[in-house]
Amino acid sequence: MAMLSFERKYRVRGGTLLGGDLFDFWVGPFYVGFFGVTTAFFAALGTALIVYGASLGPTWNIWQISIAPPDLSYGLGIAPLAQGGLWQIITVCALGAFVSWALREVEICRKLGMGYHVPFAFSFAILAYFTLVVVRPVLLGAWGHGFPYGILSHLDWVSNTGYQYLHFHYNPAHMLAITFFFATTLALSLHGSLILSATNPRKGEPVKTAEHENTLFRDIIGYSIGALGIHRLGLFLALSAVFWSAVCIVISGPFWTHGWPQWWSWWLNLPVWG
Amino acid sequence: MAEYQNIFTRVQVTAPPYPGVPLPNDGSIGGRDGKPFLQHLIGKFGDAQIGPIYLGWTGVTSILFGFIAFEIIGLNMLASVGWNWIEFVRQLPWLALEPPPPSYGLGMPPLNQGGWWLIAGFFLTASVLLWWLRTYQRAKAHGMGPHISWAFGAAIWLYLVLGFFRPILMGSWGEAVPFGIFPHLDWTAAFSIRYGNLFYNPFHMLSIAFLYGATLLFAMHAATILAVSRYGGERELEQIVDRGTASERAALFWRWTMGFNATMESVHRWAWWFAILCPITGGIGILLTGTVVDNWYLWGIKHHIVAAYPQVWAAPTVDPSTLPGAAP
Amino acid sequence: MRTTANRLKVVAALALAALVTSGCERPPIDEVQGGYRGTAMVQMYNPRVVAAQAANNTVPVAQAAAAEGGPLAGTVYQNVQVLGGLSIGEFSRTMLAITEWVAPKEQGCAYCHEGANFADDAKYTKVVARKMLQMTQKINADWKPHVQATGVTCYTCHRGKPVPEYVWFKDVDNTAAGGLGNRAGQNQSTAAINGSSLPSDPFSPFLLGSEPIRFTGDSALPAGNRKSIKQAEWTFALMTHMSQGLGVNCTYCHNSRAFNDWSQSPPQRTTAYYGIRMARALNNEFMVPLTDVFPAHRKGPGGDVAKLNCATCHQGAYKPLYGASMLKDYVTALAAPVPPPVVAPPVEAPPAEGEAAPAATPAETSSTGDAPAGVKQPG
Repeated sequence: MAMLSFERKYRVRGGTLLGGDLFDFWVGPFYVGFFGVTTAFFAALGTALIVYGASLGPTWNIWQISIAPPDLSYGLGIAPLAQGGLWQIITVCALGAFVSWALREVEICRKLGMGYHVPFAFSFAILAYFTLVVVRPVLLGAWGHGFPYGILSHLDWVSNTGYQYLHFHYNPAHMLAITFFFATTLALSLHGSLILSATNPRKGEPVKTAEHENTLFRDIIGYSIGALGIHRLGLFLALSAVFWSAVCIVISGPFWTHGWPQWWSWWLNLPVWG
Repeated sequence: MAEYQNIFTRVQVTAPPYPGVPLPNDGSIGGRDGKPFLQHLIGKFGDAQIGPIYLGWTGVTSILFGFIAFEIIGLNMLASVGWNWIEFVRQLPWLALEPPPPSYGLGMPPLNQGGWWLIAGFFLTASVLLWWLRTYQRAKAHGMGPHISWAFGAAIWLYLVLGFFRPILMGSWGEAVPFGIFPHLDWTAAFSIRYGNLFYNPFHMLSIAFLYGATLLFAMHAATILAVSRYGGERELEQIVDRGTASERAALFWRWTMGFNATMESVHRWAWWFAILCPITGGIGILLTGTVVDNWYLWGIKHHIVAAYPQVWAAPTVDPSTLPGAAP
Repeated sequence: MRTTANRLKVVAALALAALVTSGCERPPIDEVQGGYRGTAMVQMYNPRVVAAQAANNTVPVAQAAAAEGGPLAGTVYQNVQVLGGLSIGEFSRTMLAITEWVAPKEQGCAYCHEGANFADDAKYTKVVARKMLQMTQKINADWKPHVQATGVTCYTCHRGKPVPEYVWFKDVDNTAAGGLGNRAGQNQSTAAINGSSLPSDPFSPFLLGSEPIRFTGDSALPAGNRKSIKQAEWTFALMTHMSQGLGVNCTYCHNSRAFNDWSQSPPQRTTAYYGIRMARALNNEFMVPLTDVFPAHRKGPGGDVAKLNCATCHQGAYKPLYGASMLKDYVTALAAPVPPPVVAPPVEAPPAEGEAAPAATPAETSSTGDAPAGVKQPG
């Protein structure tokens, strides 16, 4: 059980949400906890079902395997295993595993005396997935609106779902989400660059300080958000990207059935134009 | 129960604005401009100080060229609505400055047949390249690494592929992207359909994976730093050279969660690579489209990655233009 | 003070929310699955929107059937060029139906007929109506691959209005002529193209001219396909119009992962294929020749005649009038060119369009595999 040189002093009892001391132990580098057990259970069952689903299908080609949701005719009912039922159970397993993972992160945060920012951030990703496979299908009245579990088949789903609205790029929430994704990547590249450029200075130069970080950015764009602020900004941008992604798909169908370009007519028809 | 999670700064310590690290004369013209000041509201979220800024000749010329490009695009849009300002604002998202029709190839078309587009593109490119030079010079002046410049260069690569390299390889400026909000989205959709579905372009897949990956990484990293900010985790440079409990907890958090952890420095290497690989792979994917591959879906068929769906219609649909007596 | 400010905030927030959601709909939504499960080939229908459109898709009550037999209209009336072979009973009920379908209520017969002499061709509307009758017969006889046995009547497009709700004119944008500000035929919100900034008049090249609509290559690697992205935008604009005109989305006819692949396309794509060719043929054979007949106020800003596209008949429905056949009540008059009365030699030369229907009797069930005569263009 290899441990980092400083790790032993942090491996203390307590902080669990459920199960008390029962699962309060590590396996190798992994912390277990009650939610580690449930994570493992759901992940193993879900993976096994995907493999089983693949065995029912026509191919073992990793790119082509697809576990499809039920036909719309099943509505919000349960479908036979080979007719989308597998997809339904796998979805439950995925959500179980994701939520367990987030709660396990909470326990680790408590053990280490950290804030809950990471599980909070992860919950946004879970929310986006939950929106895709539960909220939107429920609003539309059929599990069949979920996306198929396959490397290429899920792209086909994205394509067709986009073209259900003729031109998905006109979806305002999609615009926001993409903008936030690009902005996050831009901000990350700048932050990563700045830290690396300070700790890997030019030949013969000493490692730079926070004053250099601030000055370089003020020199270039007139403002430096600061070492703390960049992480607040990064978290905000990343979570906004995920949040608006969830919004852009949940409004497509339940709250808009036409082409997205048509949605913008409200702007052209505002009374302010006279 | 409620804990302070350090989302906003509650108490701001004010001091005279910091004029910046003094630099030896690096040969650039001029020094820093603008009197720095503090802005309380901005201080709630980030650093309260605004300014000073360093302009230099690259900064001045970059802004000038950028302004020229901006004006060419804006005036063309304004002209397209008959110089009506209200209609300009109203229709702005729909307006654009279009590249030349493909029939002009790589030649210089009349101004109103894409000539303006070429000129605007020239000035915008010059502006971007000068700004790049500026990032390089400033990092050099500070004795810091050129990482920002290389990252910015990755974005410029994507920009040049879209508007310069690929049109040249295709032999037509008409292949390039229009300057406009909705029109560039139309271009993007048409580009994908024309070349048989960009989702099947493996470099597009990689680019999106890096885009999502970078977002994931920033969420993980930023959340981790904020979560250990009570231990001074945001002072990353100091944590890198002199590891403190913030670094240790941050590392252990991920080690216990997923069995692996970066270090305070290496997480920024992960970040940097994910972020720059997004435009690098994206640019490769676009550069290959039309030049090396004409139909990405059929490319997918060729390489056995396309999922097969059972036929749900009574009989396969046949292209009517292939039937006897028909013309397409 | 504080509560007033708070109230103001609430009002402002509500106003903003109302603005943002004003263009929105709500569940429940009806969906129709079109492809294999999980492919998202699904049509979305807001039942409230559909209910609002129902009135426009209601079929008017048919005219009472005419008595059997009787003399032929062409032998009784003067100048009956198209329907002369009908019995006067059938002829009269057809005229009554057309009046109900097309003419403004307050004008009735007088919308087309000048004074008491019904044989007079003085009004342009009468000349147009004659051509439109021939067009209707042509569609029903020769365009079965598109209209199937359902067929069309005047009402399919007119819906009680003298000019159909949805027609198109050529784009007269002349910004390309100036020094700057060239729109390049696009970059304005166009209602017929779903309000997008795609090319605003894809009809001129595709539904009047016969520019190639297809642009996707048939091989993975480049093999001489020089179609440009701009061409793809024009086709995209046409397809956007088709979707909107039919109240369907792209997946009604395509699996969007391979738009061009027929083997993955739902069968209705075939019907749509003939629809494009039908619209093109009708514009060229019937509408354009009427250009000089129409008065200026019925023409477009460029002086061109009103032309038809998908929305002209479909009006937002996947099948016009949701597939109800009005033709079944007017088969004698409208299903095919009516053979002229044999006893009236002057009328014996049918209008030019008649020649395309050999032997006059339409093939009742032309196999959908057969391209109609109108499709056979040179090359």
